[in-house]
Amino acid sequence: MREKTTTLYLGPQHPGITGNMMVKLQVAGDTIAKATTEVGYLHRGFEKLMERRNWLQSFTIVCRICVPEPDPNEENFSRAVEEIEGRIIPERAKWLRVLTLELGRIASYLLWYGGQNGSAGLYTVGQWSVGDRNYILDLFEELTGGRVYHMYIWPGGVRRDMPEGFRDKVLSTMDYLEKRLDDYDKLMFDNAIFQKRAQGVGIINKEKAIEWGVVGPPLRACGIASDVRKDDPYEIYDQLDFEIGLEHGSDVWARALVRRKEIRESIKIVRQVMDKIPEGEFYNKIPNPMKWKIPAGEAYVKTESARGEFGYYVVSDGTDKPRRVHVKGPAYVHGVTLLEDMLVGANLADVSFIMNSLGTCPPEIER
Amino acid sequence: MSEQIKEKETLEALTKTFEKVNGIVQRDKRVIVETDAEIIPGVLLYAKERLKFTHFSHMSCVDWIENNQFELVYILWSPEDKIQLIIKCVINREKPIIQNIDNIWRQANTYEREIREMFGVEFEGLIGAKEFILEDWDDIPPMRKDFDTKEYSSKHFFDRPGREDAKDVRTVITERSGEEIPDFAKKYSRD
Repeated sequence: MREKTTTLYLGPQHPGITGNMMVKLQVAGDTIAKATTEVGYLHRGFEKLMERRNWLQSFTIVCRICVPEPDPNEENFSRAVEEIEGRIIPERAKWLRVLTLELGRIASYLLWYGGQNGSAGLYTVGQWSVGDRNYILDLFEELTGGRVYHMYIWPGGVRRDMPEGFRDKVLSTMDYLEKRLDDYDKLMFDNAIFQKRAQGVGIINKEKAIEWGVVGPPLRACGIASDVRKDDPYEIYDQLDFEIGLEHGSDVWARALVRRKEIRESIKIVRQVMDKIPEGEFYNKIPNPMKWKIPAGEAYVKTESARGEFGYYVVSDGTDKPRRVHVKGPAYVHGVTLLEDMLVGANLADVSFIMNSLGTCPPEIER
Repeated sequence: MSEQIKEKETLEALTKTFEKVNGIVQRDKRVIVETDAEIIPGVLLYAKERLKFTHFSHMSCVDWIENNQFELVYILWSPEDKIQLIIKCVINREKPIIQNIDNIWRQANTYEREIREMFGVEFEGLIGAKEFILEDWDDIPPMRKDFDTKEYSSKHFFDRPGREDAKDVRTVITERSGEEIPDFAKKYSRD
């Protein structure tokens, strides 16, 4: 006898993700028989917009592609332009770039703490972590002038040097956050509800993980040591001492543990940057932006964002505007094919929980 | 700079196996090749199974309208050798058809659906809803270079009342108030 299924529409607004995306579910009882991702709520046509703007005008758009963590976009775009043009950037700029990338990673993980626990009904963690994230945003505001969108990393280097007294503020914020992480351990990782909800849920097939395009913390939670910072080092990551989080459970719990470890490693990296950052220039001035032409060429560059490999494919035809900019965010795979496969057989109550553990972010699926 | 041994081996393996593949080692960890569209699935399968390029990083399409061509770009990564391989091919823009590769990497399905919608490239045997990002789209595929965004928006959307003539806002204000635009501001004026 065939069991009757019902169609349920989850979204476009729901607690599983940052942004709007719908998942069409066929459910039998409260078990999912089929899931289909439907996007189209956030398409802003950024890639087309960039084709009509010059290289520097495009730079102001890229950060808007991902709201929780805009810095990898800026870094990718800048590095792609520099790679095609062959522009060398000052050493200090590279360190400042890593500083913003790592601060962005911490902020993004803290936001994820809130999202992951919020979808399990544990709202206190979210209240705390969003509050703590604000301290990072304060640092960003002082360094870049913007809290969420920084427009800081641009072709040629970075836009500003560190203001006076900034180093002490960064270090004291890191000290505070490090102490605070113990509180999160008590509230979240020692919490029986979170453990029960997360362990054994949303398992990714380890053998197929690379082939399916899984990246970032979900891949490292499968026991595969893959991190762009280590595999294909960019900026000055090869000069830093840090470890990547590695777990073997490949479930939501393992993904949470990977992030728990990496947030501590990011704090370690920020401290190293503050210790070792060289003096000197922070910007290698570009020519008049209105007449700035990039030689014909192409580049695919990638960074390790908080959710995994973030890539930019940029093509120049020798004019003052990009021929093509194509963005690949980790959610492009995590939020569509992987999610559709993983949700089959899952419990209805776990859908947003699983989505959050993969770091699904619709703005980068549609751009 | 390293010796680029693995990079050269990869390039050599590809060019020796396939007559119609040629390319260069761009720099450390970067190999880029061009090939014919007909043998794309074969080259990709060879790269995945024999050369261990198991991770499908990205897939893109570029519109070269002046050459009447679409360029399809497949970007692979070898987790074992830590090398990035870019495989490119061109297809005719008038009749853009190429074989789909979602049986090699399942997630390629999403990329192909997007490229089909945004560029109008047909992938033989591609299964999946026609609509991916756009809804009820009735114009030419929007990422093509001959798609005029301004014309589309003026056809589908209306101007704010009072702005139909698209006059510069400073001109409108000076007309209403009867004051002249100061000289220094004139160079910024559109009229």
